[in-house]
Amino acid sequence: MRHPLRWAALGVGVLVAVLAVVLALQVGDGERQTQPRSELLGDPAPDFALTTLDGEAVSLASLRGKAVIVNFWNSWCIPCRQEEPALIEFQRRHVAEEDVVLLGIVRDDTEGAAREAVDERGIEWPMAMDTGSRAALDFGTRGQPETFAISPDGVIVGNQIGESSIANLEEMLAAARGQR
Amino acid sequence: MRPTTWLPWAALAVLVVGIVAFLVWPDGGERSVNARTRALAEEIRCPECQGLSAATSSAPTARAIRVDIRDQVEAGRSDAEIRQSMVDRYGESILLKPEGGGIGLLVWGLPVVGLVVGAAGLAFALWRWRAQPARRATDADERLVDAARHE
Repeated sequence: MRHPLRWAALGVGVLVAVLAVVLALQVGDGERQTQPRSELLGDPAPDFALTTLDGEAVSLASLRGKAVIVNFWNSWCIPCRQEEPALIEFQRRHVAEEDVVLLGIVRDDTEGAAREAVDERGIEWPMAMDTGSRAALDFGTRGQPETFAISPDGVIVGNQIGESSIANLEEMLAAARGQR
Repeated sequence: MRPTTWLPWAALAVLVVGIVAFLVWPDGGERSVNARTRALAEEIRCPECQGLSAATSSAPTARAIRVDIRDQVEAGRSDAEIRQSMVDRYGESILLKPEGGGIGLLVWGLPVVGLVVGAAGLAFALWRWRAQPARRATDADERLVDAARHE
């Protein structure tokens, strides 16, 4: 080999070029997302068995056949509070429809604080306590609020991380009903 | 080759091999539930925190993750199965350590490749340096130095 340093420099150059191409392909792999979405979209929703503040047992299995909007919430969470008018409006629009259920799940709060907030803020949908944040973990939540739309056959078809608007909620309901 | 030449190199090689073996050798014996839970939680990112592991965060999801890991350890699931259960819910980004495939392989492999290339380059440079003939002073050089010293 007459010019070993030239060969070494060439080798390093080729290696860097290959790495750059690999990294570019990896970064560009998959759908670009402007907003994070649940990994569970399109998967069967994890079942849960919880108790509402009214003392009623609620499970996902018991809601089979209905379009379910699940909203993870805490009384102390400011974005949850900002989202509440949209949820109240959504509940007002759909409360009479038997094939739609809006269910609140308290992620990490005391029952007393949750009950007080529900009474004070005009929350009229069922609110279930998630002791130990088990359901929150099974749904892969990243904070609160976070909302999921579940189709009548139990598949997660919509997800909103953070505050939902009434438009988000209607869009997720349409997806759950298979209208989108 | 005289022993004084190769002995330091052999000692250095033994030291390097010993350190690498100590670092990569798997822990012997069965770890306790606590130790496995702690070790796995340290590999999982807290989903609602910035840069903290599920082992160190006090966020509700981190607590739930620790409980879930412990339940899975007690149920006899392997470390790989437990990691996968987190990836299924949160995606690859939930892992603080990259996996050993795809882009993760690159992340793990690059430092090793860099180390090997660096070591090879150093060995090559040393070899070239040693291969150069030792320079000896010529008679003319000696005379020049003598003249300078007697001035």
